[in-house]
Amino acid sequence: MECYVEHIACHDNLKRDPKELIPDAALRRRMSRVVKMAVSTAVESVGGVEGIDALDAILTATGYGCLADSEKFLRNLIDTDEQLLTPTPFIQSTFNTVGGQIALLRHNRCYNLTYVNRSHSFEDALLDGLMRLSDGESQRILLGAFDERIPSADRILTRMGLGRKGELGEGATFMTLTAERTTDSVARIARLDFPSEPLTEAECLARYGEEPTAELIYAVDGTRELYPTRTARLVAEAARRLSAERREVIIYNALLGGTPTVIVVRWVG
Amino acid sequence: MEKLILELKEHLIEELNLEDITPEDIDAEAPLFGDGLGLDSIDALEIILILEKNYGVRLANTAEAKPVFYSVKTLAEYVMANRQ
Repeated sequence: MECYVEHIACHDNLKRDPKELIPDAALRRRMSRVVKMAVSTAVESVGGVEGIDALDAILTATGYGCLADSEKFLRNLIDTDEQLLTPTPFIQSTFNTVGGQIALLRHNRCYNLTYVNRSHSFEDALLDGLMRLSDGESQRILLGAFDERIPSADRILTRMGLGRKGELGEGATFMTLTAERTTDSVARIARLDFPSEPLTEAECLARYGEEPTAELIYAVDGTRELYPTRTARLVAEAARRLSAERREVIIYNALLGGTPTVIVVRWVG
Repeated sequence: MEKLILELKEHLIEELNLEDITPEDIDAEAPLFGDGLGLDSIDALEIILILEKNYGVRLANTAEAKPVFYSVKTLAEYVMANRQ
């Protein structure tokens, strides 16, 4: 199974203002920071809200979900002794809020699923996308991932030792997947794998590399921002690095325990 | 009454995340739902909680909600008459 990738957008590189990207003020004002960040990125990726109409599947992935609203809701629960709970943080704190809000912007009722599976949430969503394209169930899929950073989660994750592997971070990345190459294709996802055991660099290149100039990039490299769905951002990074000289980038992810994942991204010329 | 109206406007802006709106922008006599501020049913739940948490006012009868929730002024009048 393979697919083509186009229109990759990252939250820290948006060309338009969230107010422009999410024109419905009533929807926008209830969105928490991460929801606004992710939905804006998704809308920029499809070229504006009208682009949502052309999608026949919306796949989102998150490791932590909407942490700030979850915390707000739980704090409310404690502070008010389980009385007088406000509805908005509860509604907005579910993991599938982002996928739902994207669909609501244009009342798109297509296949819409959110994957929440620790550090392979994005890879699981990608696998679903690859299978749908391969089976002909979808032609144009919006795939994205998001995770936010909040101070209380930072404290807990640092205490658990995760902070020792690199600086904790956050991000939202969205892209469109197609079965066939288009004039907008920027890369090809040539392979997605879930090896049963950790691999060394040499093993990884030997097993997945087809090009002599193949480059391996790690989700955990000791210096960059760490969050469960960081591999979505690395697909954008891989697409940026691809060229006639470097036709293949392999993303290796062994972030938070469990089995590692490998995404092979190839140049489309 | 004027002080209560201003306070209610500030609560509405804060709790309902009304973007780019100041208390001066809200007409105390304009409808809160539909036209005017364009609030919806989720906002109505938030307003019930604003009244209860800040003024100890509970709507005894949901049938009276419509005239009470008409505007900031009708909310203020209800709070004045029922606050504890």
